Amino acid sequence: MNLTIKEQLSSPGGVLKFVVKHNTIFIFILLLIFSALISDVFFTSTNLSNLLKQVSGIGIISIGMLIVILTGGIDLSVGSMVALLAVTFAILVNIVVLPLAILITLTIGFGLGSVSGYLVAYQKMAPFVATLALMTIARGLGFIYSKGSPITFKTPGGEFMSNFANNSTLGVPNIALVFFLIVILTMVMLRYNVFGRLIIAIGSNEEASRLSGIKVNKYKFLVYAISGALAATAAIIVASRTNLGSPNMGMAWELDAIAAVVIGGASLNGGKGTAINTLMGVLILGLIGNILNLLNVPSYPQQVVKGAIIIFAVLLQRFESK
Amino acid sequence: MQNSESEYRVEMTGISKSFGVVSVLEGVDFKVKHGEIHALLGENGAGKSTLVKILSGVHQKDSGQIKLNGQEISPKNTHEGQVLGISVVYQELSLVNDLSVAENIYLHKLGASKFWMNWKEITKDAQELIDSLGFKIDASARVRNLSIVQKQVVEIAKALSEDTKVLVLDEPTTVFDPTDTQKLFDNLFKLKAKGISIIYISHHLEEIIKIADSVTVLRDGVDTGSMAVSDTDTDGIIRLMIGRELKDLYPARTVEIGKDPIFEVKNLTAKNTLVHDVSFSVRPGEVLGIAGLGGSGRTETAKLIFGADKKKSGTILLNGKEINTNTPVSAVGHQIGFVSEDRKEEGVFLPLSIRRNISVTSFTSISNKFGFINVDNEYKNVVGLIEKLNVKTPSSEVNVSNLSGGNQQKVALAKWLSVDSKVIFIDEPTRGVDVGAKIEIYNLINEVAKKGVGVVVISSDMPEIMGISDRILVMYKGTFYGELPKEKFSEENILRYSIGKPLK
Repeated sequence: MNLTIKEQLSSPGGVLKFVVKHNTIFIFILLLIFSALISDVFFTSTNLSNLLKQVSGIGIISIGMLIVILTGGIDLSVGSMVALLAVTFAILVNIVVLPLAILITLTIGFGLGSVSGYLVAYQKMAPFVATLALMTIARGLGFIYSKGSPITFKTPGGEFMSNFANNSTLGVPNIALVFFLIVILTMVMLRYNVFGRLIIAIGSNEEASRLSGIKVNKYKFLVYAISGALAATAAIIVASRTNLGSPNMGMAWELDAIAAVVIGGASLNGGKGTAINTLMGVLILGLIGNILNLLNVPSYPQQVVKGAIIIFAVLLQRFESK
Repeated sequence: MQNSESEYRVEMTGISKSFGVVSVLEGVDFKVKHGEIHALLGENGAGKSTLVKILSGVHQKDSGQIKLNGQEISPKNTHEGQVLGISVVYQELSLVNDLSVAENIYLHKLGASKFWMNWKEITKDAQELIDSLGFKIDASARVRNLSIVQKQVVEIAKALSEDTKVLVLDEPTTVFDPTDTQKLFDNLFKLKAKGISIIYISHHLEEIIKIADSVTVLRDGVDTGSMAVSDTDTDGIIRLMIGRELKDLYPARTVEIGKDPIFEVKNLTAKNTLVHDVSFSVRPGEVLGIAGLGGSGRTETAKLIFGADKKKSGTILLNGKEINTNTPVSAVGHQIGFVSEDRKEEGVFLPLSIRRNISVTSFTSISNKFGFINVDNEYKNVVGLIEKLNVKTPSSEVNVSNLSGGNQQKVALAKWLSVDSKVIFIDEPTRGVDVGAKIEIYNLINEVAKKGVGVVVISSDMPEIMGISDRILVMYKGTFYGELPKEKFSEENILRYSIGKPLK
C-alpha cells in the first residue's frame, strides 16, 4: 500500500514489520556493521574492491537466474556455461579482434540459452531437466575445446580486457560497474517494461497469462536465452580478470546464483522477486565469504555458515508473509 | 460446563478475528441445532468463510467461545477439527490431482492405523460411498481426469467418509446443474435425518429457501441475526444481507441491437473435446446467453473459439470477414475477450496487484514501441476502472489475493474492459459473487453491450441468464440443441432443451 516510510514505522509494531519487510537490506547492513567491528582490514578500499570483483561474475548470472525464476523456471546450466564461454572467449580473443570476440561469445551464450528455452517453452520439458542436460553438455564442451587446460590471453585485445577487468573507475572496479549496470537495467525492465511485467505475470499464473493473450512460450524462451547471454557476460568478465579461460571456472555457480536469488526474497514458484533484492542477496553471500576469509575461517565451515544464512533469510521471509 | 444435553450442536459466541489490521469478525454469535440445515449468508467479504474456518481449525479465533455438544473446543488445526467430527467442503477444491478418487477420499486416513494399505477394500468402500450419493464416478479413476462437477462430488464424499457430526458446505452447487443440485439436496436431507448438523454457505437464495431450516446473515463481520427460514422470504434475506432494499436485480435492457452480426461461428468442431457443429451469431449490442447442463460443452465452446482448445473444422467470422483464432494470442489480436469461469486458476493473478492484473491485456495502449510503460497513463486507466467497477480496495496496489470473490471477479472483467473488445465471452460472470456485486456486474455487462460489443454470457444460474440475455442458446451434448427468444424464456424451457427434449 502507499504508506510512507514514516507511516509504516509509526503504526503498531511498525518498526518490526518494516525490518521484516525489508529483511534482505537489514541483513546486509547488519553484516556490514558486524564485519567492520570484527576486522579492521574490512573497510579498506583494497578489501572492498576485492569483494566487489569477486561477486560481479556470480552477480551477473544471478540476475539471469532471477528472470528465469520469475517465470517459475530454473537454469542450472549457467555455471557450466561460464566455463565453456570463458574458454570460448579465450580462444576467440587470440584469433579475432576483440569486439568480434565479445560479440561471438555473447551470441553463443544467447544461442545455448535458446536451446534450454526451446526445450522448456516449446517441447514442454521441465526446466530442471532441460537445463541439467545443458549443464553437463556445456561443461563437457568446455573441457573438449580447452583440451582440459586453461587457455591464456596472448593478444593486445586480451591485454586490454585484462586491464579493464582489474582496474577501477572512480574507485569502483570496472567489472562491478558492469554488474551494477545490469542490475539497474533489469530493475527498470521489471518495473517499467512490458517484458518484465509479462514474465512476472507468467510466473504468477501461467494459464491466466495464456488466456489473457500473452505469448507465454515466446517469453519463456527468451528468459533462458537472456540468462545464457548474461552467463556469457559473466564468462568474459571472469576470464579477463584472470587473463585466461579455464573449463574449471564457474563450478557450482548456479547454486550460488539460486541462493542469492532466494536470499533476495524471490519465490521459486515464480512471480515474486526484484533485481535490487537479488543484488542484496549476492552481496550478502559475498560478504559472508569475505569476512570469514578475513577471520581465517577455512572453506568448509564457510559452507556451513552460508547454508545457515540461507535458512535464516528464508525463515524471515516466511515471517513477513504471515 | 459439562452439559452434553445442549439444545445446540454448535455454539459459537462472541467470535472475533482480525488479520493484521483488518478486522474480519467482530463478536459474532452462531448457533446450529442437531439435525438442521443452517444457512450462513452474507456478501463476499462478510466473514462467512473465516467463521467456518475458525470452527474447523484452519484459523484460530482472537476471542470468543466455541462449544460442540456443550463442551468447549478450540481446534488448532483441521486434523483436530476432523477428529471432533467437523468436516468442511471448501469452495476451493482441495483434491490431489494425481491420486485416484478412492485415495483422495481416504487421504486423511492413510497411514493412520495400519501399516499396509488394502487398496481393494478402500476402492470398494469409496465406490459404495459415491454410489450412495447417487453420482456415477469410478472410484479408481484419477482425479485429474474428472470434470469439475465430479471433483466437487468427490470432495463431498471425502467429508462424509469421516464420522461427521457437523458438515460445512461452502458454495457446493456453484458448479452443479439443476439435476445434480437436486441430487445433492436429497443427500443433505438424508444426512439431516441422521442427526447431522449441516452448515450451508450459498449465494443462491432460492436454494436456501428450499432446503434450509434456519438462516444466519453476516454483514461486514457482524451477525445481523438468525431466524427460521419459515419466518422470512428472499426479499427479507436480501435486505439483511445488503442492509438496503433491493429494487431490481437485473437492470433494464435499453441497448439498441445492431442488424448485422458482428461475430459468427459456423459448424465449429473441436479436435479434443465433445464440441461439434456449433453455429451461432452475435450482433453488436446483443447479450447472448448460453445455457446447458454442466458437461454439455459450454465452456469448451468458448475456449475453442478463443483458441485455448484445438479446432478440427469450422469457420469464424468477425464483421463478415473470416478470421483465424488458433491461439489465445490471435483471438486477443482480433479483439476477442474471454473471462474464465475458473477465476483463481485462469482468471486473475492472485499474487499480483490490481494494477498489474488489469494492465496485462492493455500494454499496447500504455507502452511505447520499446515496451516502456507510461506509468501515469497506466494509473489513470487502472484507477478509472477501479472506480467504475466499484472495486472495494484501499488502493490499486493491493494484491488481488486480498480481495473478496466479487471484487476479484470485477478485476477479471476489468482486464477485458481496459481493451477495446469486439466480442467478449464471459463464463459464469457471477459465480461465488454476492448480490451487491452481482448487480454491479450486470450493469457493467449492459454498459459494455451499449458500446456495440457482442457479449456472450455462459451461465448455470437460470434466473441470471434469463435476466440479462436478449436470446438464449441451449447446449446439449456438445452442440446447440435449441434457441429461445426472449418471450420464450422460462426455467422449464431451458431445462427441456438442456436434456434434449423439444418444448411443449
